[in-house]
Amino acid sequence: MRKVYLLFILMLFTTVVVACSSDSATDDTTEDTNSEGTTESAEETEDEEASGEEDVTLRVAWWGGQERHDRSLQVIEMYEEQNPHVTIEAEYSGFDGYFDKLNTQLAAGNAPDVIQFGGNLNDFVLRDVILPLDDYVGNELDTSLHSESMLDSATFDGNLYGVTLGTTAWGVLVNKTTLEEAGVSMPSKEWTWDDFKEITPEVTENIDGTYGTGDFSEDGFGVFLAQRDKYTYLDGEIGFGVEDVQDWFQLWKDLRDSGGAAVAEVQVSATQTPEQSLIVQGDVAMESIASNQLSAYSSATEDEFELYPYPYNSETGKNGVSLRPSQYFAAYKDTPHPEESAKFMDFFVNNVEATEILGNDRGAPVNSDVRKNLIEQASELDEKVYSYIDLVSETSDAPYIPNLPGYNENTQLFTETEQIIYYDQKSVEQASEDYFEELLSNIEKYTSEEE
Amino acid sequence: MKSSEAVTVSSVQKKTKISKETRKQYIAAYIFLLPWLIGFLGLVLGPMVSSLYLSFTRFDLLNPPEWIGFANYTEMFQDTRWIASAKVTMTFVFIAVPTQLIAALLVAVLLNKKMAAVGFYRTTYYLPSLLGGSVAIAILWKNLFEIDGLVNQVLVFFNIEGQGWISHPDYALGTIIILATWQFGASMVIFLAGLKQIPKELYEAAAVDGGTKRQVFFRVTLPLLSPVIFFNLVIELIKSIQVFTSAFIISEGTGGPINSTLFYTLYLYQKGFTHFEMGYASAMAWVLVFVLGVMTLVIFFSSKYWVHYEDGGKL
Repeated sequence: MRKVYLLFILMLFTTVVVACSSDSATDDTTEDTNSEGTTESAEETEDEEASGEEDVTLRVAWWGGQERHDRSLQVIEMYEEQNPHVTIEAEYSGFDGYFDKLNTQLAAGNAPDVIQFGGNLNDFVLRDVILPLDDYVGNELDTSLHSESMLDSATFDGNLYGVTLGTTAWGVLVNKTTLEEAGVSMPSKEWTWDDFKEITPEVTENIDGTYGTGDFSEDGFGVFLAQRDKYTYLDGEIGFGVEDVQDWFQLWKDLRDSGGAAVAEVQVSATQTPEQSLIVQGDVAMESIASNQLSAYSSATEDEFELYPYPYNSETGKNGVSLRPSQYFAAYKDTPHPEESAKFMDFFVNNVEATEILGNDRGAPVNSDVRKNLIEQASELDEKVYSYIDLVSETSDAPYIPNLPGYNENTQLFTETEQIIYYDQKSVEQASEDYFEELLSNIEKYTSEEE
Repeated sequence: MKSSEAVTVSSVQKKTKISKETRKQYIAAYIFLLPWLIGFLGLVLGPMVSSLYLSFTRFDLLNPPEWIGFANYTEMFQDTRWIASAKVTMTFVFIAVPTQLIAALLVAVLLNKKMAAVGFYRTTYYLPSLLGGSVAIAILWKNLFEIDGLVNQVLVFFNIEGQGWISHPDYALGTIIILATWQFGASMVIFLAGLKQIPKELYEAAAVDGGTKRQVFFRVTLPLLSPVIFFNLVIELIKSIQVFTSAFIISEGTGGPINSTLFYTLYLYQKGFTHFEMGYASAMAWVLVFVLGVMTLVIFFSSKYWVHYEDGGKL
C-alpha cells in the first residue's frame, strides 16, 4: 500500500514538473528565436537599408479569434510568396493581455513593426510611438480609394498614422427566435426608445430566464449622446454634461425596474467574448454589438439574429449611429523597415485576393473597389452586414467620434459606475456626478502627457 | 543565503593557507551557485533596485521617468481605489489565513490517525494545492459560482434561491476566500510532518494522567506543534498578501464588481500596465514590501510568547 502510494505521488509530481518545465521551455525558445530574429534583422537592415531588396523580417501583431488568425496567416503566406525577400513573423493572440504585452514591448523598444490597434490608436499617437505614414502615401501605400472619413479617423494633427482595416457601426443585435417565442412582433427598423421600453419587458415576462435586453453600456452612451447632437470628446473638448450621464443611467435604471433589462447579477457577468455573451447564452434577447461581429455571434448559436439600428430619439428624430473604423494597422515609430511595413499594410487592405481571404472579419473594407468585389461574392450573413453598413451610411446623422483619451481607465470607470448603480450603492444623481468629476480629471491627466 | 555567503567569504580571507583541495572545492561551489547568483542579481535584485528608483518618478513606460520625489507615496492615501484595494487584501488575509490554517490543522490531525486508506485521503486533500494558483482552477471556480453555476444548481435541491455569487459585490470576495481555504494541502502536509514529530511518550504520559482528548490537544499537541504553526503562518501570510491569479481571472482583470475583488496586486498591475503609471505601481510595490515586512516582524517578535521549542528555542 505504502509503496503504491509513494509511487503514485512520485508519478504525479514528475508529470507536474515535466509538464511545467516543458511548457516554459517551449515558451522560452519561441521567445528567444523571436528576439534573436528581430535583433538580427535590425542589424542587417542597418547595413543594407540603401539597397531595399535585401532580406527583411517584419513582425506583425494583431489580436482576434481563431478565424481572424487563420485568415490573416493565409494572407501573410501569400505576401511572402509574392515577396520572397520578406519573412513575416506573426505575433497574434486573443484580446486579453494584448495591450499589456504591447506596452511592455514598446517600453523595451522591441515592439513589432506593424501593429493592430483599435479605437485607442489616439492614446498611442499621443504617446509618440506611432510612425506617421504621410511619406509613404502614394508610394508604397495607396489610399486613393479609401473612404475619406476613415482616413480622417486615423489622422491626428494633420498626419496619417494608420490604415483602417474595416468599417463597422454599432447596432442592436435582436434574437428573432426568442422574440417569436415570446410572441412579440419584430419592431420596425425605425423604432424609438419608447418602443424599446415597451418591447423589452414583454420578452422578460413571457420567457422564463430571459431578459429583454442587456445594458448597452459605454458604447451605447456614445450613440445616445450623438442622438442629442452631443459627443464625448473631440479636439480637446468634452462635449456633454453631467445631466446627459444622469439621463443615460436613469434610462437603464428604469429599464431594469420595469423588468426590461437584465438584473444586476446577470449583467455583471457579461463578457466580451461572442460565444459567452449574454445573448448567445440566452440570458437576454438584445445586445449592442459592432456590426463586424455579427457572424461571430450568429455562428455561436442556432437562433436567428437580426441587426437593428439603435432606437431613435423621438425628440430629435436622430439615430446617432455612425460608421466607425474597427481596427487599424499602424507602424511602430522605430521600425527599421518603414517602407516594407507600409507595403505590407497596402497589400493587406488593397490587394483583391488578400482582401477576399480576409473578408468582413475586421469590418467592411474601406477601399471602395475591394468592397464592391466582396459584396458581389458575399455570403448571406455577410450580406446582412453590408446592407447594415449601407443603411447606416445612408441614414447616418452623426459624425464619427474617436475614443476618449485614456480609454482603458475611463472604460473601467464607466463600468464601475454602472455597477455602483446596479447595486444601489449610490443614487443615479450621485454616481453620475462622481463619474463626471473623475472623468474630467482623467482626461486632464492623459492629455497633459501630450506636452 | 546572504549570511552564509558572508561567512564563506570571510573564512576564505582568514585562512590564507587553505589547501589547494579546499580552494578547488570553493571554486566548484561558486560555479554551482553561479546560475542562481546570476538569476538573483539579474532577475531579483536588479529589478528591485530599479523599481525603487522608479517609485520616485512619473513613468509611463515610454517616455523617460521624471523625478517627482515622494508624490507617488503621498498620492496613495488620497486614492480611494488604493484604499479599497488595501482593505480587500487585508480582509482576505485576516480571514483566509486563519481559516486555511485551522482547516489544514484539523484535517492533519484526522489524517494522523491510523485508519484504512489514509494514503488515499492524504493525496486527495493535497491535490487542490498541487493545482494551486493555476488559471484552470480559477476558471473552474468562476463556473462553479456563476449565476447558473453548479453551486446554485445544488442549492435549488435545498430550495434555496442562489445568488450570482461572483457578480455580487457582497459575495465575490467570499468565493475567492473559499478557493484559498480549499487549497490548504501544503500547510496540511507540513502539519502532518509536525504531528509525527511529537514524541509518543508525551501522549502516553497524558493518558496515564487521565487527560481528556481536548486537554491532550490543547496542552500537548498544540504547544509542540507551535513551531510548525509559526512557520505555516508566516508562509501563508506572505502568500495571501500577494494573491493575484484567482482575482485576476475571476473578475477578468477588473477587480469588480465595484472593486470588491480589487486585490492590492491586481490594482498594482492595473496601474502599471493598463493605466501606464509604472512609477505609481512601483511605489505601491514598495509599500507592500514594507507592510509585509512589518507584519512578518510582528509575528516573529510575538513568537517568543506563543511558540514553544523543544530545545529551548535557539533561533
